[in-house]
Amino acid sequence: MAIAPDRELKKGNAELLILALLEDQARHGYEIGKLIAERSEGVLRFHVASLYPLLYRLERRGWVKGEWEPAGGRRRRYYRLTQTGRKILSEQRSRWRAFSGAVNRIVETGAAHRSAVNSSMEVQHA
Amino acid sequence: MPDWKKIVREKLGTLPLTNGRRAEIIEELAQQLESAYEEALAQGINEQEAMRRSLEQFKDWEKLRMELFQSVEGTRLPVWEQNGFFAPRRAPVWIALALTLSLLLAPAFRQALAILPVPGTDPTAWGSRIFSEETLRLIEQSGDKQKYARALAFVALQSPKEDDERAVRAAEKAIALDPSLTWIAAKICHAIYSYPGYDPHPWIERLKAWDPQNGFPYLLEADANAHWWEPPWTKYSATRGGLGAALAAEPRWRIPMEKAFAAPRLDLYEAQQFALDRQVLEEQGFDRPDILMAGMWSQPMPDFIAMNFYADFLLNDVGAKAKKSGRLDDARTAYEGLARFGERLENASSYNLQLLSAKYRVDAYRKIAPLLRQQGRTEQSADVAASLASLLEPAKKRPYLISYAAGERSGHIVQLAGLFFSLFFAVTAAWLIALALLRWKPNLSAALDRMASVLCLAPVFLLLSSVALFLGYYPYARHIGQYASLQELQQGFLPFLMGVYGFPALDAFMEVYLPQMFWPTVWCALVAVVGASSLWLMRRLARPDRPDVA
Repeated sequence: MAIAPDRELKKGNAELLILALLEDQARHGYEIGKLIAERSEGVLRFHVASLYPLLYRLERRGWVKGEWEPAGGRRRRYYRLTQTGRKILSEQRSRWRAFSGAVNRIVETGAAHRSAVNSSMEVQHA
Repeated sequence: MPDWKKIVREKLGTLPLTNGRRAEIIEELAQQLESAYEEALAQGINEQEAMRRSLEQFKDWEKLRMELFQSVEGTRLPVWEQNGFFAPRRAPVWIALALTLSLLLAPAFRQALAILPVPGTDPTAWGSRIFSEETLRLIEQSGDKQKYARALAFVALQSPKEDDERAVRAAEKAIALDPSLTWIAAKICHAIYSYPGYDPHPWIERLKAWDPQNGFPYLLEADANAHWWEPPWTKYSATRGGLGAALAAEPRWRIPMEKAFAAPRLDLYEAQQFALDRQVLEEQGFDRPDILMAGMWSQPMPDFIAMNFYADFLLNDVGAKAKKSGRLDDARTAYEGLARFGERLENASSYNLQLLSAKYRVDAYRKIAPLLRQQGRTEQSADVAASLASLLEPAKKRPYLISYAAGERSGHIVQLAGLFFSLFFAVTAAWLIALALLRWKPNLSAALDRMASVLCLAPVFLLLSSVALFLGYYPYARHIGQYASLQELQQGFLPFLMGVYGFPALDAFMEVYLPQMFWPTVWCALVAVVGASSLWLMRRLARPDRPDVA
């Protein structure tokens, strides 16, 4: 099930997604949108109408830098991370890992515990 | 291949960005559309469908336009650049404002606005304020003696208690100019009989001489001669019936009362005052039924309690003693005197006087019917008993309260609509000022621009509240000249007016909150704004990496 991008935006994760995609190489807007859908296997989809305002906001903050470059016979605007952007990405990634790790520990521990209880009951019945 | 740049340029419209950013954004968005279009074609989709799918990526171009501006510039799109349906660049909001203004052409709407209560003011204290000395002088200079006399009579009738001297002077002049206005003496003598330094008797004598058949001047004379609520009369209040007996023993009170009850007419000059008030208000351009109504509340009334004392005296002293001593005709004369007086009161506009009228007749008929039977006049006795039964029918007890609730409800609706109208009028005025300032200096203030953007709907709500006010008031909208009598005004307008001024839920707001708590509230709001701004600033300082966090 796809997660509503607005909700994602509100959570502040949209910035993290874009910064992460730009970590290794410069990309243009169309590519960013496609990559988010592809890498999340369709779970996350980005409204293009939200993508460009977000890119411009990151650019205004100085986290990314956009530059026109030739590509396939035409010019495209490529975005790449700035130094500040890398620092912010690192911070946001740490926060995300801490958060998702905490959530996972709770969710997966609950599932593992239930599974263990079920197994022990099966053994007793046997 | 569609011209994507042209499409984006047209869809985005004006986007006031600097340094070529607008062209760059248009190119970038055009590339997004073009890439999606090409991808769709590559999947074997036809051109038309591919174009539709491509354009579907941006459904709300106005929203996109605003978000793009905010992302690039860090501030909202200026209010004068917005293209939303109710943005000031577009017609709907100005049409709403024009429609509201056009409602002012309707006299009913103007009248509705005029009658709305203004917090902190007394609706009945308008009085003679409409006639300043300067206005009176101008009317005098106009040479229209009748008009001047009417204006002076109006001042005499409507002057507040603390301005009795002005009232007396105006009455003297008015009567001198037009002796048919002598009836206003009733108001003067009524107003000043308890006022130190004034003797009401010359006014009463003047009224008696002018209108000798009327019982009203005699009631005023009795009131002026014995102030039963003051010493020495108060000492008689301790015993039941003591005060009434003491008053009856005082000829200066009893004889005028006797004459008042026996007089062939009882005219409280309500019709005259109504006609005068209506004409003067029309002449002065005050098409205000509420003012006409309030004006009638200043009319002189006889002392109901004194009248009751005398009615008791007739029933329980004069009549009872005559009956006891076997003088049945004398007893009947006393009772019939009370019944006739009650009949003469029947046409009074005051609800209290109508009640008294019914009470006197009921009390008298209850005594007369057995007396007639005792005298062997059974047919006449039956007639009186029938009259008594008719008076005791519930519908006849409170004739003009039947439609009271409906009028009061309408009054509440108009009051609510009026409150919303006032609120949205103030907001719209603030919005217009902000718009004018931003038109003059577009970069004057981001906060002002934000406020102007948020308040764009104010003219629409102003129109809606105006229409609600107009429709709510319309059934009651009449030119004051169309009210033929005081009774008509009271029955048609008074319940509504009471509703407008007497909304229980809003009484505390109108009478306590607005006059006393308004400025404390403003101060509290100011403190709250300063506090909120400080918190915002502290939060911003704590997150230097996120200047937009708030």
